[in-house]
Amino acid sequence: MNATSKNQSDCPEVHVPIPVFLTIGVVSLIENLLVVVAIIRNRNLHSPMYCFICSLAAFNTIASLTKTWETLMITFANVGQLEKTEFSESNLNDVIDSLLCMSFVGSFFSFLAIAVDRYITIFYALRYHNIMTMRRTGVILGLIWITCGVLAVLFVKFFYLKVTMICFVVFFIISLAILCFLYTYMFMLALIHARKIASLTASEGGKGALTLTILSGTFTVCWAPFFLHLVIMTVCPMNPYCECYRSLFEVHVVLMMSHALIDPAIYAFHWKLCS
Amino acid sequence: MSDSHNRSQASARRSDYVWQYEYYDEEPVSFEGLRAHRYSIVIGFWVGLAVFVIFMFFVLTLLTKTGAPHQENQDSAEKHHRPGSCLVDIDGHQDENDKAFSRPLLAGSRSYFNFFISEDDQGQAKQKTEDKRTGKHNGARAQQGNSDRPRGISSSGVDEMEEDIEEAGGCQHLNGLIGEGKIDRECAFLSHFNIPNFVSLDHNSTLGEDDLLYEPSAILERQSRDSHCDVH
Repeated sequence: MNATSKNQSDCPEVHVPIPVFLTIGVVSLIENLLVVVAIIRNRNLHSPMYCFICSLAAFNTIASLTKTWETLMITFANVGQLEKTEFSESNLNDVIDSLLCMSFVGSFFSFLAIAVDRYITIFYALRYHNIMTMRRTGVILGLIWITCGVLAVLFVKFFYLKVTMICFVVFFIISLAILCFLYTYMFMLALIHARKIASLTASEGGKGALTLTILSGTFTVCWAPFFLHLVIMTVCPMNPYCECYRSLFEVHVVLMMSHALIDPAIYAFHWKLCS
Repeated sequence: MSDSHNRSQASARRSDYVWQYEYYDEEPVSFEGLRAHRYSIVIGFWVGLAVFVIFMFFVLTLLTKTGAPHQENQDSAEKHHRPGSCLVDIDGHQDENDKAFSRPLLAGSRSYFNFFISEDDQGQAKQKTEDKRTGKHNGARAQQGNSDRPRGISSSGVDEMEEDIEEAGGCQHLNGLIGEGKIDRECAFLSHFNIPNFVSLDHNSTLGEDDLLYEPSAILERQSRDSHCDVH
């Protein structure tokens, strides 16, 4: 409504067509829902590792569901089907934002839990069943979900404070660092051992490197642009260079949603859900 | 002033998420006198990200390639590696025994990378695990007659570890029932042979070359006390 009176800036906002959002949202919703249902219904998959993968898929389901719902509401609102009131709109925005925040933070925690679980699986294999019992897994998952819920509400309520943004970005950087470190450490120790028994072939090592690069690479490529956006929004709102970066906001959101799309392929289907 | 700024930021934030309201602040950002390209931050960010990912891939691939398995290079290099140091002097003296141990060890080498490689290779790896398991029991019995007891046990300990990792990373470990069965079989095997727990490749392991040579029995007893089987 105010857009027509605005001067056109040199960096116009890049709009991603709504069908793209809807497609990505619906496909990732179906995929992740499939993973969740398959893990819950198959008794053979009730192991700690699959519980963490299921939790990751559940968070991604919530994220895609919320995003798709938001896109639909915006479409209907633009078309004029929905009646907007100031009050309901801000509340709805807050609900959507906190659900999205909860699922993003939750997927970070799930990544960390999966990485730690894999670490214990590889290097404490004989004691794995003692260290990672189903009860401990349940406790960890409960803690993760409660923490994410609380953090999300806090983030959205106190969004206007710079501290919130800084915490969010620092949390992202720390999770990225921990993930990269854990996986690289596992990879290097596996390499050292395989070299010792004098039987490492080039193709296996290359495949290991490729898988590891894909894992951490997609995480970084999908999440870093959005977080840089948050940083730029806080640090330099008036700078023209920063504004040109901010104009690509919808592209960055599409990247985030596509990560929810790629996740099942990397984590769940990679292990070929055995029946 | 700060209140209105906060409010405008809050509405900017809402517009970021909902794309309904005006995206920009009240005052338009002036684009006069820009020295660099408008999208320089965007381009710089994506180039940096691509460089980082490619660099990471090359570092990882280089790590795999530079580890060409020459025995003499390995000996000198590994003596400086603390993790898995208990395997160091064993491999060093095993030039003549390599052929005896190489087959089960070779078959088990894939196990660490089952975690990383795709499921296509897991089918082959699973078959090799079955062969290796039968081969390992024969090999272990042969090692029993071997005079160098720590060496033989350590090698079969390596097999144990690899079988664990194979199961942990492979398909059958995900089936909890079957995984339990295999671990139990290993427990019987372990307690029978008093195999130390070599699984933890963490560098907290304090076993050095001297420990292994001079006090094998103490270490074996201590480790078997800590082993997985005793807890059950």
